[in-house]
Amino acid sequence: MERAKQTQPDDQLVQDMFAVAEHRDQVALTRLFDHYVPKIRAFCLAAQPGANLMADDIAQEVMIRIWRKAHTYKPEAASLNTWVFTLARNARIDYFRKNSRHQTNIDPDYLFQSIVDENADPFKDAQHQRDQERIKDGLDKLPQDQKQVLYKVYLEGKTHKEAAEELSLPLGTIKSRVRLALHKLTIYIKR
Amino acid sequence: MLNHHPSIEMLTDYAAGSLALAYSLSVSTHLEHCSECQQHVRKLEVLGANLFTQTAPENQSLSFLKQSFFEKLTEEEQDRTSETLAENKQKSVKNWFDDYKIPASLRQFVPNNYDELSWMKLSPSVKIATLCDEDGIQVSLTRIKAGAHIPTHTHAGEEITLVLEGAFSDEKGVYGRGDFVSRNASHKHKPMVTKDAECICLTVLDAPIEFTGWLTRFFNPIMRRYHPQTQ
Repeated sequence: MERAKQTQPDDQLVQDMFAVAEHRDQVALTRLFDHYVPKIRAFCLAAQPGANLMADDIAQEVMIRIWRKAHTYKPEAASLNTWVFTLARNARIDYFRKNSRHQTNIDPDYLFQSIVDENADPFKDAQHQRDQERIKDGLDKLPQDQKQVLYKVYLEGKTHKEAAEELSLPLGTIKSRVRLALHKLTIYIKR
Repeated sequence: MLNHHPSIEMLTDYAAGSLALAYSLSVSTHLEHCSECQQHVRKLEVLGANLFTQTAPENQSLSFLKQSFFEKLTEEEQDRTSETLAENKQKSVKNWFDDYKIPASLRQFVPNNYDELSWMKLSPSVKIATLCDEDGIQVSLTRIKAGAHIPTHTHAGEEITLVLEGAFSDEKGVYGRGDFVSRNASHKHKPMVTKDAECICLTVLDAPIEFTGWLTRFFNPIMRRYHPQTQ
Protein backbone atom coordinates (compact mmCIF):
# COMPACT_ATOMS: atom_id res chain seq x y z
CA MET A 1 0.00 0.00 0.00
CA GLU A 2 2.92 2.29 0.69
CA ARG A 3 3.70 2.30 -2.99
CA ALA A 4 0.44 4.08 -3.73
CA LYS A 5 1.34 7.06 -1.54
CA GLN A 6 4.38 7.97 -3.55
CA THR A 7 3.81 10.36 -6.39
CA GLN A 8 7.17 10.84 -8.13
CA PRO A 9 7.21 9.97 -11.83
CA ASP A 10 9.74 7.17 -11.23
CA ASP A 11 7.34 5.53 -8.80
CA GLN A 12 4.66 5.55 -11.45
CA LEU A 13 7.07 3.58 -13.62
CA VAL A 14 7.67 1.05 -10.86
CA GLN A 15 3.90 0.69 -10.54
CA ASP A 16 3.77 0.12 -14.26
CA MET A 17 6.35 -2.64 -13.89
CA PHE A 18 4.12 -4.39 -11.37
CA ALA A 19 1.14 -3.98 -13.68
CA VAL A 20 3.14 -5.55 -16.49
CA ALA A 21 4.39 -8.38 -14.30
CA GLU A 22 1.09 -9.20 -12.65
CA HIS A 23 -1.56 -8.25 -15.18
CA ARG A 24 0.36 -8.23 -18.48
CA ASP A 25 -0.84 -4.64 -18.76
CA GLN A 26 0.05 -3.29 -22.19
CA VAL A 27 -1.00 0.26 -21.34
CA ALA A 28 1.56 0.27 -18.54
CA LEU A 29 4.07 -1.16 -20.99
CA THR A 30 3.33 1.75 -23.34
CA ARG A 31 4.23 4.22 -20.58
CA LEU A 32 7.50 2.35 -19.98
CA PHE A 33 8.11 2.43 -23.72
CA ASP A 34 7.58 6.20 -23.89
CA HIS A 35 9.91 6.78 -20.98
CA TYR A 36 12.76 4.41 -21.77
CA VAL A 37 12.90 3.98 -25.53
CA PRO A 38 14.28 7.50 -26.21
CA LYS A 39 16.96 6.87 -23.59
CA ILE A 40 17.86 3.46 -24.97
CA ARG A 41 18.09 4.87 -28.47
CA ALA A 42 20.31 7.73 -27.28
CA PHE A 43 22.47 5.19 -25.43
CA CYS A 44 22.93 3.18 -28.64
CA LEU A 45 23.52 6.21 -30.82
CA ALA A 46 26.24 7.39 -28.42
CA ALA A 47 28.20 4.24 -29.29
CA GLN A 48 27.45 4.44 -33.00
CA PRO A 49 26.25 7.84 -34.15
CA GLY A 50 23.74 7.72 -36.97
CA ALA A 51 22.96 4.01 -36.60
CA ASN A 52 19.22 4.53 -36.23
CA LEU A 53 18.23 1.04 -37.33
CA MET A 54 20.54 -0.50 -34.77
CA ALA A 55 19.11 1.79 -32.09
CA ASP A 56 15.55 0.77 -33.04
CA ASP A 57 16.43 -2.93 -32.96
CA ILE A 58 18.11 -2.73 -29.58
CA ALA A 59 15.34 -0.57 -28.10
CA GLN A 60 12.72 -3.11 -29.21
CA GLU A 61 14.78 -5.96 -27.85
CA VAL A 62 15.10 -4.25 -24.46
CA MET A 63 11.35 -3.60 -24.33
CA ILE A 64 10.70 -7.27 -25.12
CA ARG A 65 13.02 -8.24 -22.27
CA ILE A 66 11.21 -5.84 -19.94
CA TRP A 67 7.93 -7.47 -20.93
CA ARG A 68 9.28 -10.98 -20.38
CA LYS A 69 11.34 -10.38 -17.28
CA ALA A 70 9.13 -7.89 -15.44
CA HIS A 71 8.40 -10.48 -12.73
CA THR A 72 12.12 -10.78 -11.91
CA TYR A 73 12.49 -7.08 -11.12
CA LYS A 74 13.01 -6.48 -7.38
CA PRO A 75 12.77 -2.80 -6.41
CA GLU A 76 14.60 -3.39 -3.12
CA ALA A 77 17.63 -4.76 -4.96
CA ALA A 78 18.00 -2.13 -7.66
CA SER A 79 16.29 0.99 -8.93
CA LEU A 80 14.29 0.57 -12.11
CA ASN A 81 16.73 2.82 -13.96
CA THR A 82 19.62 0.56 -12.98
CA TRP A 83 17.71 -2.51 -14.01
CA VAL A 84 16.83 -1.08 -17.41
CA PHE A 85 20.37 0.22 -17.87
CA THR A 86 21.77 -3.29 -17.37
CA LEU A 87 19.25 -4.69 -19.87
CA ALA A 88 20.21 -2.03 -22.41
CA ARG A 89 23.91 -2.60 -21.82
CA ASN A 90 23.56 -6.35 -22.32
CA ALA A 91 21.36 -5.98 -25.38
CA ARG A 92 23.87 -3.58 -26.93
CA ILE A 93 26.75 -5.99 -26.28
CA ASP A 94 24.71 -8.82 -27.75
CA TYR A 95 23.87 -6.80 -30.84
CA PHE A 96 27.51 -5.92 -31.48
CA ARG A 97 28.48 -9.53 -31.03
CA LYS A 98 25.89 -10.88 -33.42
CA ASN A 99 26.61 -8.21 -35.97
CA SER A 100 30.32 -8.97 -35.82
CA ARG A 101 31.72 -5.73 -34.54
CA HIS A 102 33.55 -8.09 -32.22
CA GLN A 103 34.23 -11.60 -33.42
CA THR A 104 33.42 -13.90 -30.58
CA ASN A 105 31.52 -16.98 -29.59
CA ILE A 106 31.11 -15.86 -25.99
CA ASP A 107 27.47 -15.48 -25.01
CA PRO A 108 27.11 -12.32 -22.88
CA ASP A 109 23.93 -13.64 -21.25
CA TYR A 110 26.13 -15.77 -19.03
CA LEU A 111 28.36 -12.89 -17.97
CA PHE A 112 26.01 -10.47 -16.31
CA GLN A 113 23.81 -12.53 -14.11
CA SER A 114 21.95 -10.74 -11.38
CA ILE A 115 24.12 -12.06 -8.61
CA VAL A 116 22.75 -9.57 -6.09
CA ASP A 117 19.17 -10.75 -6.32
CA GLU A 118 19.95 -14.12 -4.87
CA ASN A 119 21.14 -12.93 -1.47
CA ALA A 120 18.56 -10.42 -0.32
CA ASP A 121 19.78 -8.61 2.78
CA PRO A 122 17.77 -5.72 4.28
CA PHE A 123 20.90 -4.12 5.73
CA LYS A 124 22.70 -4.18 2.41
CA ASP A 125 19.59 -2.92 0.64
CA ALA A 126 19.43 0.11 2.96
CA GLN A 127 23.11 0.73 2.41
CA HIS A 128 22.55 0.44 -1.31
CA GLN A 129 19.76 2.99 -1.12
CA ARG A 130 22.19 5.48 0.43
CA ASP A 131 24.81 4.67 -2.19
CA GLN A 132 22.31 5.37 -4.93
CA GLU A 133 21.50 8.80 -3.55
CA ARG A 134 25.16 9.64 -3.07
CA ILE A 135 26.00 8.66 -6.63
CA LYS A 136 23.08 10.59 -8.06
CA ASP A 137 23.88 13.80 -6.16
CA GLY A 138 27.62 13.46 -6.64
CA LEU A 139 27.44 13.01 -10.39
CA ASP A 140 26.10 16.52 -10.97
CA LYS A 141 28.96 18.01 -9.00
CA LEU A 142 31.78 16.28 -10.86
CA PRO A 143 34.15 18.44 -12.91
CA GLN A 144 33.54 18.30 -16.65
CA ASP A 145 36.77 16.45 -17.49
CA GLN A 146 35.85 13.58 -15.16
CA LYS A 147 32.29 13.43 -16.45
CA GLN A 148 33.55 13.37 -20.02
CA VAL A 149 35.61 10.23 -19.42
CA LEU A 150 32.72 8.48 -17.66
CA TYR A 151 30.51 9.41 -20.59
CA LYS A 152 32.96 7.83 -23.02
CA VAL A 153 33.28 4.62 -21.04
CA TYR A 154 29.62 4.13 -20.19
CA LEU A 155 27.70 5.62 -23.06
CA GLU A 156 30.09 5.40 -25.98
CA GLY A 157 31.18 1.94 -24.82
CA LYS A 158 34.89 2.72 -24.93
CA THR A 159 37.50 1.11 -22.73
CA HIS A 160 39.85 3.31 -20.71
CA LYS A 161 42.47 2.70 -23.37
CA GLU A 162 40.21 3.71 -26.25
CA ALA A 163 39.08 6.81 -24.36
CA ALA A 164 42.73 7.79 -23.87
CA GLU A 165 43.46 7.39 -27.57
CA GLU A 166 40.45 9.38 -28.61
CA LEU A 167 41.11 12.27 -26.25
CA SER A 168 44.86 12.13 -27.04
CA LEU A 169 45.65 11.87 -23.37
CA PRO A 170 47.96 9.47 -21.57
CA LEU A 171 46.18 6.36 -20.23
CA GLY A 172 47.35 7.35 -16.76
CA THR A 173 45.42 10.63 -16.96
CA ILE A 174 42.22 8.81 -17.94
CA LYS A 175 42.68 6.30 -15.15
CA SER A 176 43.24 8.99 -12.55
CA ARG A 177 40.21 10.99 -13.73
CA VAL A 178 38.00 7.93 -13.39
CA ARG A 179 39.49 7.05 -10.02
CA LEU A 180 38.98 10.60 -8.74
CA ALA A 181 35.37 10.52 -9.89
CA LEU A 182 34.72 7.09 -8.36
CA HIS A 183 36.34 8.27 -5.13
CA LYS A 184 34.09 11.34 -4.94
CA LEU A 185 31.05 9.20 -5.60
CA THR A 186 32.30 6.82 -2.88
CA ILE A 187 32.09 3.94 -5.32
CA TYR A 188 35.71 3.08 -4.86
CA ILE A 189 37.89 3.84 -1.88
CA LYS A 190 41.40 2.59 -2.46
CA ARG A 191 41.90 -0.72 -0.74
CA MET B 1 38.39 -13.01 1.78
CA LEU B 2 40.28 -12.82 -1.48
CA ASN B 3 43.48 -10.87 -1.91
CA HIS B 4 43.72 -10.53 -5.65
CA HIS B 5 41.10 -8.64 -7.59
CA PRO B 6 40.59 -7.08 -11.01
CA SER B 7 41.66 -3.44 -11.19
CA ILE B 8 38.96 -0.83 -10.65
CA GLU B 9 39.43 0.20 -14.31
CA MET B 10 38.59 -3.30 -15.42
CA LEU B 11 35.55 -3.46 -13.12
CA THR B 12 34.38 -0.11 -14.48
CA ASP B 13 34.75 -1.21 -18.10
CA TYR B 14 32.95 -4.45 -17.20
CA ALA B 15 30.01 -2.68 -15.54
CA ALA B 16 29.85 -0.23 -18.44
CA GLY B 17 29.81 -3.10 -20.91
CA SER B 18 32.84 -1.77 -22.77
CA LEU B 19 35.23 -4.53 -21.71
CA ALA B 20 36.05 -7.23 -24.28
CA LEU B 21 33.91 -10.30 -23.54
CA ALA B 22 36.97 -12.51 -23.07
CA TYR B 23 37.99 -10.33 -20.12
CA SER B 24 34.39 -9.93 -18.96
CA LEU B 25 34.28 -13.70 -18.67
CA SER B 26 37.17 -13.70 -16.21
CA VAL B 27 35.71 -10.76 -14.24
CA SER B 28 32.32 -12.44 -14.09
CA THR B 29 33.87 -15.67 -12.80
CA HIS B 30 35.77 -13.71 -10.15
CA LEU B 31 32.55 -11.99 -9.04
CA GLU B 32 31.00 -15.34 -8.24
CA HIS B 33 33.63 -15.68 -5.53
CA CYS B 34 34.03 -12.08 -4.40
CA SER B 35 31.33 -10.10 -2.60
CA GLU B 36 33.62 -7.08 -2.33
CA CYS B 37 33.90 -6.71 -6.11
CA GLN B 38 30.19 -7.49 -6.46
CA GLN B 39 29.48 -4.42 -4.34
CA HIS B 40 31.76 -2.30 -6.52
CA VAL B 41 30.04 -3.52 -9.66
CA ARG B 42 26.63 -2.89 -8.17
CA LYS B 43 27.57 0.73 -7.50
CA LEU B 44 29.25 1.10 -10.88
CA GLU B 45 25.98 -0.02 -12.47
CA VAL B 46 24.10 2.63 -10.51
CA LEU B 47 26.54 5.17 -11.91
CA GLY B 48 25.88 3.80 -15.40
CA ALA B 49 22.13 4.08 -14.84
CA ASN B 50 22.51 7.74 -13.84
CA LEU B 51 24.52 8.53 -16.94
CA PHE B 52 22.03 6.54 -19.01
CA THR B 53 19.02 8.47 -17.73
CA GLN B 54 20.78 11.77 -18.38
CA THR B 55 21.11 11.10 -22.10
CA ALA B 56 19.67 13.92 -24.16
CA PRO B 57 16.16 13.14 -25.37
CA GLU B 58 15.72 13.31 -29.11
CA ASN B 59 12.88 14.95 -30.94
CA GLN B 60 12.19 12.08 -33.25
CA SER B 61 8.70 10.66 -33.33
CA LEU B 62 8.60 7.09 -32.13
CA SER B 63 5.06 6.20 -33.18
CA PHE B 64 6.22 4.03 -36.06
CA LEU B 65 8.67 2.17 -33.83
CA LYS B 66 6.00 1.78 -31.18
CA GLN B 67 3.54 0.30 -33.63
CA SER B 68 6.10 -2.18 -34.94
CA PHE B 69 7.10 -3.07 -31.39
CA PHE B 70 3.58 -3.98 -30.35
CA GLU B 71 3.14 -6.05 -33.50
CA LYS B 72 6.32 -7.90 -32.66
CA LEU B 73 5.14 -8.39 -29.09
CA THR B 74 1.93 -10.03 -30.28
CA GLU B 75 3.96 -12.45 -32.41
CA GLU B 76 6.24 -13.18 -29.47
CA GLU B 77 3.29 -14.00 -27.29
CA GLN B 78 2.05 -16.53 -29.82
CA ASP B 79 5.44 -18.24 -29.96
CA ARG B 80 5.66 -18.32 -26.24
CA THR B 81 4.30 -21.75 -25.44
CA SER B 82 7.02 -23.60 -27.30
CA GLU B 83 9.67 -21.47 -25.66
CA THR B 84 8.50 -22.07 -22.12
CA LEU B 85 8.92 -25.75 -22.81
CA ALA B 86 12.50 -25.23 -23.95
CA GLU B 87 13.23 -23.09 -20.90
CA ASN B 88 11.94 -25.73 -18.52
CA LYS B 89 14.06 -28.29 -20.21
CA GLN B 90 17.15 -26.12 -19.75
CA LYS B 91 16.33 -25.56 -16.11
CA SER B 92 16.18 -29.22 -15.24
CA VAL B 93 19.50 -29.75 -16.97
CA LYS B 94 21.07 -26.92 -15.02
CA ASN B 95 20.12 -28.31 -11.63
CA TRP B 96 21.86 -31.46 -12.55
CA PHE B 97 25.14 -29.66 -13.08
CA ASP B 98 25.10 -27.74 -9.84
CA ASP B 99 26.95 -30.57 -8.12
CA TYR B 100 30.06 -29.88 -10.16
CA LYS B 101 30.71 -26.30 -9.12
CA ILE B 102 31.34 -25.10 -12.61
CA PRO B 103 31.05 -21.30 -12.39
CA ALA B 104 27.83 -20.08 -14.00
CA SER B 105 29.79 -17.88 -16.39
CA LEU B 106 31.66 -20.90 -17.77
CA ARG B 107 28.71 -23.24 -18.23
CA GLN B 108 28.30 -22.09 -21.79
CA PHE B 109 31.58 -23.90 -22.50
CA VAL B 110 31.65 -26.48 -19.73
CA PRO B 111 28.08 -27.68 -19.33
CA ASN B 112 28.86 -30.84 -17.35
CA ASN B 113 32.34 -31.15 -15.96
CA TYR B 114 35.92 -30.32 -16.77
CA ASP B 115 36.72 -33.83 -18.01
CA GLU B 116 34.52 -33.53 -21.06
CA LEU B 117 36.72 -30.85 -22.62
CA SER B 118 39.33 -31.82 -25.16
CA TRP B 119 42.52 -31.34 -23.21
CA MET B 120 45.87 -30.99 -24.93
CA LYS B 121 48.75 -32.41 -22.98
CA LEU B 122 51.68 -30.02 -22.78
CA SER B 123 53.70 -32.14 -20.40
CA PRO B 124 52.92 -35.05 -18.08
CA SER B 125 51.59 -32.58 -15.51
CA VAL B 126 50.16 -29.72 -17.59
CA LYS B 127 47.10 -29.81 -19.85
CA ILE B 128 45.27 -27.00 -21.60
CA ALA B 129 41.85 -26.73 -23.24
CA THR B 130 40.86 -23.74 -25.34
CA LEU B 131 37.34 -22.48 -24.59
CA CYS B 132 36.90 -19.60 -26.98
CA ASP B 133 38.44 -16.52 -28.45
CA GLU B 134 37.49 -12.98 -29.26
CA ASP B 135 39.40 -10.66 -31.58
CA GLY B 136 42.59 -12.64 -31.00
CA ILE B 137 42.20 -12.88 -27.23
CA GLN B 138 42.30 -16.51 -26.18
CA VAL B 139 40.42 -17.97 -23.26
CA SER B 140 41.49 -21.38 -22.02
CA LEU B 141 41.63 -23.63 -19.02
CA THR B 142 44.90 -24.92 -17.64
CA ARG B 143 44.95 -28.01 -15.49
CA ILE B 144 48.11 -28.72 -13.54
CA LYS B 145 48.87 -31.65 -11.29
CA ALA B 146 49.47 -31.14 -7.56
CA GLY B 147 52.99 -29.97 -6.82
CA ALA B 148 53.90 -29.46 -10.48
CA HIS B 149 55.30 -26.26 -11.87
CA ILE B 150 54.61 -24.49 -15.13
CA PRO B 151 57.87 -23.85 -16.99
CA THR B 152 59.24 -20.31 -16.72
CA HIS B 153 57.57 -18.12 -19.28
CA THR B 154 57.04 -14.52 -20.29
CA HIS B 155 54.06 -12.87 -21.90
CA ALA B 156 54.08 -10.97 -25.12
CA GLY B 157 50.85 -9.36 -23.96
CA GLU B 158 48.66 -9.49 -20.90
CA GLU B 159 47.80 -12.69 -19.07
CA ILE B 160 44.93 -13.01 -16.65
CA THR B 161 44.73 -16.09 -14.49
CA LEU B 162 41.72 -16.89 -12.39
CA VAL B 163 41.99 -19.80 -9.98
CA LEU B 164 38.97 -22.12 -10.27
CA GLU B 165 40.16 -25.04 -8.16
CA GLY B 166 43.25 -25.64 -6.01
CA ALA B 167 45.98 -23.08 -5.54
CA PHE B 168 49.32 -22.02 -6.98
CA SER B 169 52.12 -19.69 -6.03
CA ASP B 170 54.80 -17.68 -7.79
CA GLU B 171 57.48 -15.19 -6.78
CA LYS B 172 54.80 -12.72 -5.70
CA GLY B 173 52.43 -14.76 -3.59
CA VAL B 174 49.95 -17.61 -3.18
CA TYR B 175 46.69 -17.64 -5.10
CA GLY B 176 43.59 -19.62 -4.21
CA ARG B 177 40.06 -20.12 -5.55
CA GLY B 178 38.63 -16.95 -7.03
CA ASP B 179 41.88 -15.00 -7.01
CA PHE B 180 42.36 -12.83 -10.06
CA VAL B 181 45.98 -12.50 -11.14
CA SER B 182 47.08 -10.15 -13.89
CA ARG B 183 50.55 -10.30 -15.43
CA ASN B 184 51.96 -8.37 -18.37
CA ALA B 185 54.97 -8.45 -20.66
CA SER B 186 57.38 -7.25 -17.99
CA HIS B 187 56.82 -10.30 -15.79
CA LYS B 188 58.76 -13.48 -16.19
CA HIS B 189 57.34 -16.02 -13.82
CA LYS B 190 57.41 -19.62 -12.78
CA PRO B 191 54.16 -20.62 -11.10
CA MET B 192 54.06 -23.69 -8.88
CA VAL B 193 50.96 -25.59 -7.83
CA THR B 194 50.53 -26.36 -4.13
CA LYS B 195 51.15 -29.97 -3.17
CA ASP B 196 47.70 -30.81 -1.76
CA ALA B 197 45.56 -30.73 -4.91
CA GLU B 198 45.53 -30.22 -8.64
CA CYS B 199 44.94 -26.70 -9.86
CA ILE B 200 42.50 -25.60 -12.56
CA CYS B 201 42.78 -22.04 -13.83
CA LEU B 202 40.97 -19.92 -16.34
CA THR B 203 43.47 -17.97 -18.42
CA VAL B 204 42.91 -15.08 -20.78
CA LEU B 205 45.78 -14.29 -23.12
CA ASP B 206 45.99 -11.55 -25.69
CA ALA B 207 49.15 -13.00 -27.23
CA PRO B 208 50.79 -16.44 -27.05
CA ILE B 209 52.97 -16.99 -23.99
CA GLU B 210 56.68 -17.65 -24.56
CA PHE B 211 58.49 -20.32 -22.60
CA THR B 212 62.03 -19.25 -21.79
CA GLY B 213 63.63 -22.46 -20.47
CA TRP B 214 66.09 -24.16 -22.90
CA LEU B 215 64.12 -27.39 -23.00
CA THR B 216 60.62 -25.96 -22.85
CA ARG B 217 61.19 -23.68 -25.82
CA PHE B 218 59.87 -26.43 -28.03
CA PHE B 219 56.38 -25.66 -26.68
CA ASN B 220 56.45 -22.23 -28.28
CA PRO B 221 55.44 -23.29 -31.80
CA ILE B 222 52.58 -25.28 -30.25
CA MET B 223 51.42 -22.36 -28.14
CA ARG B 224 51.53 -20.10 -31.18
CA ARG B 225 49.67 -22.57 -33.31
CA TYR B 226 46.83 -22.75 -30.82
CA HIS B 227 46.61 -19.03 -30.26
CA PRO B 228 43.95 -17.38 -32.46
CA GLN B 229 46.09 -14.34 -33.17
CA THR B 230 48.55 -16.35 -35.21
CA GLN B 231 46.05 -18.47 -37.09
